[in-house]
Amino acid sequence: MSSALAPLISARDVSITLFTPTATVFPVDKVSYSVSAGRTLAIVGESGSGKTVLNLAPLGLMPAGVACDVTGSIKLNGREIVGLPEGEMQAVRGREVGVIFQDPLSALNPMRRIGTQIAEVSEHHADLTARAATAHALDLMRLVGIPDASERLRQFPHELSGGMRQRAMIAIAIAAEPKLLIADEPTTALDVTIQAQILDLLKDLQRRLGMGIILITHDIGVVAGMADDVLVMYAGRMAEVGNVEAVLTAPRHPYTQALLNSIPDPASRVGSRFNGLPSAPPDLGSRPKGCPFAPRCEFAMDTCRSARPPLALVKDGSAGHMSACPPKLGQAVLRAAS
Amino acid sequence: MKVILQVEKLTTTFAGTVPGTRIRACDGIDLVIHEGEFIGLVGESGCGKSTLGRTIVGLEKPSAGRVVFDGVDLATLRGAELRSFRRAIQYIFQDPYATLNPRQTIGEALWEGLSIFGIADQSERTRRARKLLDLVGLQKDAETRYPRELSGGQRQRVSIARALTVEPKLLICDEPVSALDLSIRAQIMNVFLNLQQELGMACLFIAHDLALVRQAAHRTLVMYLGRIVEAGESDSLYHFPAHPYTKALLSAVPNPDPRVERTRQRIVLEGELPSPANPPSGCRFRTRCPISKADCAINDPALHSSSADRVVACHYA
Amino acid sequence: MRWLKGAWSEVRQLPKAAWIPVAVFLFIGVFAPWLTPKDPIAQNLLNASQDFSAEHWLGTDHLGRDTLSRLIMAARTSTVAIATVIGLALFIGVTLGAIAGYMRGVVDELVSRVIDVGLSLPSLIVALAVIGVFGTGFWIMIFALALAWWPGYARLSRAVVISIMSQPYIEALRVLGASPARIMILHLLPSALGAVMVYASAEAGVVALAIATLSFLGLGIQPPTPEWGQMLVDALPYMADTPRQVILPGLALTLVVIGFNLLGESITLKRTPRSISKLLLRRRRLQAAIESYQ
Repeated sequence: MSSALAPLISARDVSITLFTPTATVFPVDKVSYSVSAGRTLAIVGESGSGKTVLNLAPLGLMPAGVACDVTGSIKLNGREIVGLPEGEMQAVRGREVGVIFQDPLSALNPMRRIGTQIAEVSEHHADLTARAATAHALDLMRLVGIPDASERLRQFPHELSGGMRQRAMIAIAIAAEPKLLIADEPTTALDVTIQAQILDLLKDLQRRLGMGIILITHDIGVVAGMADDVLVMYAGRMAEVGNVEAVLTAPRHPYTQALLNSIPDPASRVGSRFNGLPSAPPDLGSRPKGCPFAPRCEFAMDTCRSARPPLALVKDGSAGHMSACPPKLGQAVLRAAS
Repeated sequence: MKVILQVEKLTTTFAGTVPGTRIRACDGIDLVIHEGEFIGLVGESGCGKSTLGRTIVGLEKPSAGRVVFDGVDLATLRGAELRSFRRAIQYIFQDPYATLNPRQTIGEALWEGLSIFGIADQSERTRRARKLLDLVGLQKDAETRYPRELSGGQRQRVSIARALTVEPKLLICDEPVSALDLSIRAQIMNVFLNLQQELGMACLFIAHDLALVRQAAHRTLVMYLGRIVEAGESDSLYHFPAHPYTKALLSAVPNPDPRVERTRQRIVLEGELPSPANPPSGCRFRTRCPISKADCAINDPALHSSSADRVVACHYA
Repeated sequence: MRWLKGAWSEVRQLPKAAWIPVAVFLFIGVFAPWLTPKDPIAQNLLNASQDFSAEHWLGTDHLGRDTLSRLIMAARTSTVAIATVIGLALFIGVTLGAIAGYMRGVVDELVSRVIDVGLSLPSLIVALAVIGVFGTGFWIMIFALALAWWPGYARLSRAVVISIMSQPYIEALRVLGASPARIMILHLLPSALGAVMVYASAEAGVVALAIATLSFLGLGIQPPTPEWGQMLVDALPYMADTPRQVILPGLALTLVVIGFNLLGESITLKRTPRSISKLLLRRRRLQAAIESYQ
């Protein structure tokens, strides 16, 4: 966000409504962010916070049959993509934006060889001949660190381990050399030792290809290691946004503070209670008048429940550090965190 | 303290994908749990930690070794006698939704557990079910609801309550919180801590998150490819790991403080878990070990004490 | 009670055309003795082979019996026979299938092979063979048909039980120390029965036809009990003079078979929807998945 370059992607006041047969839900409510080339924005939140819908719905990546309504503006390389017809969107996906999903096994076609699936993308988006595309696929597989790449080219997804599948998925995502990579919980399904390898790979690729990355995750540790900026979402709304160091070490929103507080403290006594939050997040069908976090917030005042606190720059914080919590409470949160 | 569970040289094998081969998911595991003790069992997927838990509780058949519970070798019991004796060990699954019959209300699920336990009187069942719901932190009105109407955290509370209907002495929890959100995770962990601290229930807690286990468990065991590679008092194991695998496991977990995370040295393990159908010769960890030497391929290191209250299976730790 | 309520709500979701014919048939079958305007077996040779009249709405047969009353009573005979055949076949099939699915191993192999043999033989041939050995009669016919019909139910319930057995909630019950009998009776049988009942309702029309066929051949329900197949064969010699005596029972039988087939079809369509309806269902599932994913 602090980059001098024009942002790769910038979203302004994006709201998304999903229509299901039984209910109408509001998973994303007035969210704004931007990512510049070579930088990583982490979008953090628990399940139901809308972090996945926020990034996938505007790209038309919702499963067939889900009616969704996107309002606001998302500019990708200066081009508005909200309301883009499906045909043009197809060119955007893959060529301009690569996507990595949480579960590579279900995102890969089980009936086709890994090499074919990677080559297909470069063939389609980079206009390579079939032979050149296969050679490109081999290069990509080496790039993402798949050993014995020429052999693995001919294997099927089920023949690979979880870590290798995720590498193959990354190879597909970067095959057309997109400027932006959206990684939706890329390491949640993996073991920690494999997670470390994949995160290193992503960082390495970012450095080499100068991509912007949007990292969707619930793991604060992953955020701390990967991200430059972080956006914390709660119940579809922005709770806090800013430089990763500022948000994670000097949080101004009680939800951010509670998330940080939920991480087990290695210095705590064995057998001591775990810190968490009471009750559960609100369901996305309701749009509370006030702050959605108020019912679980230990700092909440009456005004929090009656009116939605605006997202505002925090007092004497770092540049771009904003929180949707009244400044007075923000100070209290900061004191509690330190 | 009294020993409640003793596992000796327990081996569980499965048929491999190649006909004729056997996968040794658990390979000669020794384990002792005392009354009221909270034990952590940590390892990555495929290390056999779930198989160990499932074998103890009787969902898998051991191919060798003994499980002695409350002084009785479980292999000597049969049929109804085995069922009523083994009932004192209960299992909490990772996905509570799948372990609840979708056609039963929460109340019915609990009443069923109580009726299996031999409580025939309906009013007594209702009374006990309400007490259990209260114990795990659920409202009385949960009784009439179906599993699909509850959130993930609430479902896990229900599955704990149902396990408690048969008054177990040992709970085996298989990743019970890994599918839950961070803020909900703490609520469920505190339920387990309550059971152990207030009711004196012993607990074998299977997880992949060392930090979580460190805070809850007295002792922690680390498994790799079907073997226990290190075991000891949780706090010291977390802060001073001895086995290179434990070190790597701890080092792989990112630190939530960006200032620390950016600067710290990490041990990144090369490669992936070898196939348990065809484990490496000698030390099983040697193919990924940063300190392995030539003789690691020949000699299989046995668990030996490296310091007071610590056992390690490594030649060089 | 809850089970009945569930079944009813499921029926209500079907199109009316699918369940109303069957409901009408069952209503007539159950309340037949109160619905018949005349005694269905009282002969009156003076009134034989009469045409439609105010006295006899649908005329009389060659022995002067009231045709409407006989048609209505025949519905009762069919209802009782279909219900007993299916009930018996369900009992044998679900029990054996569930045991095979629960025990697996040798028992499963044995039961499965018997099922295979049973399914490879046409039902009517099996029934005829049994009647050939034991002679004719209402109960022998019932047993013969039940014996011919159970393998299909057994195969289906075996499959259902096997799929439920792999569910973690059965594992959870085993950990609780639930006896095999409890798991079987309280958790496996109800689910297996539910699935097989659907199949059975689709098959009821075929059973009705088989009963009529056997009666037509003189191997099933014996005179003077009114039965459609038998009414057909009774009226056959007089077809040239009074064709309505052949047409009316034939029509009744056809309507019942079509009714049951409609019901069965719409239930299967609801469970495994094709084309557009299948697509819609998949969309709904995806939506549910998204909701849980968010």
